[in-house]
Amino acid sequence: MENGYRSYHPYVQFLYYLCVSILAMYFNHPLFLIIACILMVFVNISHDGGRALRKWGLVLIVMSMIIIVLNPFLVSRGTNILFYFRDKQVTLEATIYGITMSLSLVIVLIMFVSFNLVLNGNRFLFIFSKVLPRTAFLIMLAIRFVPLLNRRLEEIGMVHRIRGMSMTEGSIRERAKIGMLRIQLLLTLSLEEAIQTADSMKARGYGIGKKSSYIPYKMEKRDWGWLLTLVLLFLICIVGGSLGYGKIQIYPELGTLHFFLLDWILFVCMISIFSFPLIAEGREKLRWIYLK
Amino acid sequence: MDIFKINDLSFRYPDMENKVLDHVTIHIPEGEFVVVCGPSGCGKTTLLRLLKTELAPVGESTGEIYYFNKLLNSWDNRKLIEEIGFVFQDPENQIVMDEVMQEIVFSLENLGYSHFEMRKRVAELVHSFGMEHLLEYKPSELSGGQKQLLNLLSILLLKPKVLLLDEPTSQLDPVAAKDLIIMLERLNKEMGITIVLVEHRLEELFAIADRVLMMDEGKIVHAGDSKEVIYKLYKNNDEQFIPYVPAVSRLYLEIEQFHKIENIPLTVKESKEWMNELPSDVENSGQSVQDSFSITHHDTILSVKNTYFQYDKDLPMILKNLSLQIKQGDYFAIIGGNGSGKTTLLKACLGMIKPQRGSARYLGKDITKLKGKELYKKFAYLPQNPRIYFIQDTMVKEMQEVINQHKIENGSAKIEEMLDLFGIAHLRNRHPYDCSGGELQKAALACMLLSKPEILFIDEPTKGLDPISKQHFGKIIKELHKTGMTIVMVTHDIEFAAINAHRCAIMFDGAITVDGTPKELFKGNYFYTTAINRATRMSNLPEVLTLEEALEIWPDHVLTY
Repeated sequence: MENGYRSYHPYVQFLYYLCVSILAMYFNHPLFLIIACILMVFVNISHDGGRALRKWGLVLIVMSMIIIVLNPFLVSRGTNILFYFRDKQVTLEATIYGITMSLSLVIVLIMFVSFNLVLNGNRFLFIFSKVLPRTAFLIMLAIRFVPLLNRRLEEIGMVHRIRGMSMTEGSIRERAKIGMLRIQLLLTLSLEEAIQTADSMKARGYGIGKKSSYIPYKMEKRDWGWLLTLVLLFLICIVGGSLGYGKIQIYPELGTLHFFLLDWILFVCMISIFSFPLIAEGREKLRWIYLK
Repeated sequence: MDIFKINDLSFRYPDMENKVLDHVTIHIPEGEFVVVCGPSGCGKTTLLRLLKTELAPVGESTGEIYYFNKLLNSWDNRKLIEEIGFVFQDPENQIVMDEVMQEIVFSLENLGYSHFEMRKRVAELVHSFGMEHLLEYKPSELSGGQKQLLNLLSILLLKPKVLLLDEPTSQLDPVAAKDLIIMLERLNKEMGITIVLVEHRLEELFAIADRVLMMDEGKIVHAGDSKEVIYKLYKNNDEQFIPYVPAVSRLYLEIEQFHKIENIPLTVKESKEWMNELPSDVENSGQSVQDSFSITHHDTILSVKNTYFQYDKDLPMILKNLSLQIKQGDYFAIIGGNGSGKTTLLKACLGMIKPQRGSARYLGKDITKLKGKELYKKFAYLPQNPRIYFIQDTMVKEMQEVINQHKIENGSAKIEEMLDLFGIAHLRNRHPYDCSGGELQKAALACMLLSKPEILFIDEPTKGLDPISKQHFGKIIKELHKTGMTIVMVTHDIEFAAINAHRCAIMFDGAITVDGTPKELFKGNYFYTTAINRATRMSNLPEVLTLEEALEIWPDHVLTY
C-alpha cells in the first residue's frame, strides 16, 4: 500500500494538478511564480528524490533560457526601452513577460512530471473511465498489449538473427525489407494469439449485459477534507485574481511589483494549494518521528 | 445427478472430411474429477469447447448435450457463463486487463455485480488463494504459474459448478504445474466443484482423477477408474497410450508378473510400498550401474566465462558469475525453474545480449560480434513457439527460401529428402499456422537441417507436446546428435532431459550450480528428479533414473521369485 500523498483518492490528486496548472497560467506575478516553481520542485523531490525531474532538468533550463532570450528580441511592445538591437527596441516589459511566461511553462511541465509519477496508468484510467468508459477499456486493452508485443518481437528478433536476417547490417533496402517482414510476422502472430484473448473475454461474459465497474478507490474523510480545502482555496485565488491581485501589469507599461494585503492573502492560499503533497508527506513523516 | 450428459455426440468442422467427434457418449456426475487425454487432434479440445456454449466451435453437430437434465442450449446464457468456467492453455494470452485486481474482477464486472458483492467475493477468495501479494504487480510481471492461478481465481469468483480446463499446465514448469493441480484437487474435494481437465502431463493426475477418458480419432477408446484404464492398456498392449501411463505404474506392470488391478501404484508412496515387498537381494547388481555415455574429450566450441548480466542498472543481476563450456558433439541440457535465468543464458549464447562482464565465445570469437554467414551457417535455433520460425505461407516455400539463402545445390532433392526423413511430406503445402505444435517443430527442424548447422539450440521443446510426440522428438534429436551435431537444450522437463541428454546443468539464481551426467545430477534429489528415482531411492532396489534403465539393470530372475 502506498503512503502519504500517493494514498489519496485519484480525484483529489487530479483536482490538485488541475488547480496547479490553472494557477500557474493565471498568476503572472514573478514572486508568485518563482515560489510556485520552487514548491513544485520540492513536490517532485518528495515523490522519488527528484530522479524523474533530473532527466528533464536540462531540457527545462534550455527551454526557459530560449524563451527568456528570444521574447524581448521578437516582441518590441512596452515603454521602458533597455537598448536597441538592429534598430529594434528591446524593452523591459518584453523581458519580464518572457520570464513570467517561461516560469509558467516550467511549472506546468514539472507538474506533468509529478502527474506521471502519481496518477500513472490505472489511476488516470480510473478518472478517465468515469467520462468515457468504453474508450478507457479500449486503452486498457491496448496497454496490456505492449508487453506482449515487446516479448514477441524479441523472440522473433532472436530467431531472425540466427537465420541471418539482421537489422543492423546490409543495405537500407534489405533492412527495410526484413523490418517489414518482422512487423508482418508480429502482427499475424499477435492476431492469432488475440483470438485466445477474445475467447477468454467471451468465456467470462464480456458483452452479455450492462457492465458494472469495480471501484478500487474509496473517498475517505481526509479525501473529502482536502477536496473541499482545495476548492475553497482555489476559488479565493480565482476571485482575488479577477480583482487584479497576484498579477502585474506588463504591457503597455510595467506596473508595480508591490504586495498589497490581498496579495499576501492570495500568496498564502496559493502556497497552501501548491504544497498539498508536501503537507501530506510531511505529516506522515512527523507521525513516524513522534511514534518513536 | 449428472452435471453433463453427452449422448451420441458427433461433430464435424466445415470443409473437413472426417468427424472430429464420432458418436461420443459420456455421463459426468456432479463432483467428479475427470481427466481427458489423447494425441493432438483427437478431438478432446473440441469436446471441451462444446461444453461451453460461448466457445463452441462452428460446424455440423449431431447428438445432445444435457446440463443438469436440460439441453445445454436451452439454459439461460448468464447462468451458463457463471456456472461453467473455462481455463485456457496459454497463461499469458487469456489475461485481458493490465492490472491484477482489474483482471480478477473482470468477470464480475461483465455480469454487472454490485460493488458490495464484488468486494465481498474478492476479499474472501484472494485471501484463501493467498494471492494478496500479487495485487501490486502487473500481470506481465507474474510468473506463468501465478498467471494461471490468476486466471483460475477470476473464474472462481463467479462460483462455478464445473471447471473446464484445456491443458492448463502445459506451459508451466513442474513445480508450478504441481501447485495448480493441488489447487484443483482442493477445489474438487473441498468445494465439490466438478472438474473436466484435458492434459498431456499425467504423472500426478492419474492419482487424483476419479475417471480417465482416453480419446483417439474422435472416439473414446478407454474410460474408467485410473487403475482399471492402466490395467486394460497393458492387457491390450496398447502402444499408443502406454506412454501416458505414469512411470511408477509402468515399472510395476513391466516387472511384477502377477499384477492385480488394485495393486497398481499410481504415486511414489504406493510404489514404495510395493517395492518394499520385493526381495532385497538385488542390491549388489545395482553397483554395476555405469554411465552408458562415454565422456567426450572433444574441443570446446562454445564457452561462457564468468558472465554477469542485468537488463538495467537498477534491476537485479540475472546472470551471476556464470561459466559454461560446451564441447563438440555434446548433448547438453540446462534445467532450472522460472526466473533462474535460463532464457537469458540462451540469449547470451545466441549473442542477443551483451553481458556486462565476461563473454560468450564460439570457437574463441565473441558471439555478439558474429554476423551473417558466420552465424547462420553454424547456428540453428528452435524457439519455444516454432511458429515464429516461419515466414512463408507453406512449408515447401520456407525450405526453398533456406536453399536460396545458403545456395545449396540440387535443392529440391534435398527438400524431398528432409520431408521424408521427418515424415512430414503430407504437410508440404500446409500453412504453418494450421499445423500442430509437434508438426511445426519437425518442419522447423527440417528447414534448419538443410544448411547442416554445427550447433543446435532448443528452447523448451516439450511444452505442450503429447507423450507420443515427445518420444518422437526425443528420437529425432538423438539421431541428429549421432551425426555429430552439438545440441544445447533449455528445458524444465526433467524426465525428458534425464532420458535424452548426455550432460545436464542445473541453473539456480543466475549461475550454473552443478553440471554432470543426468545420473550424477538427478539421483537423490527431491524435486529435480524423476518419479521413478523418487520411488527407488532408499528402497530394496538399486536406484535408477528412468524406466528404460530400470528394465535394463534389474535382472529378471530376482523378480520372478
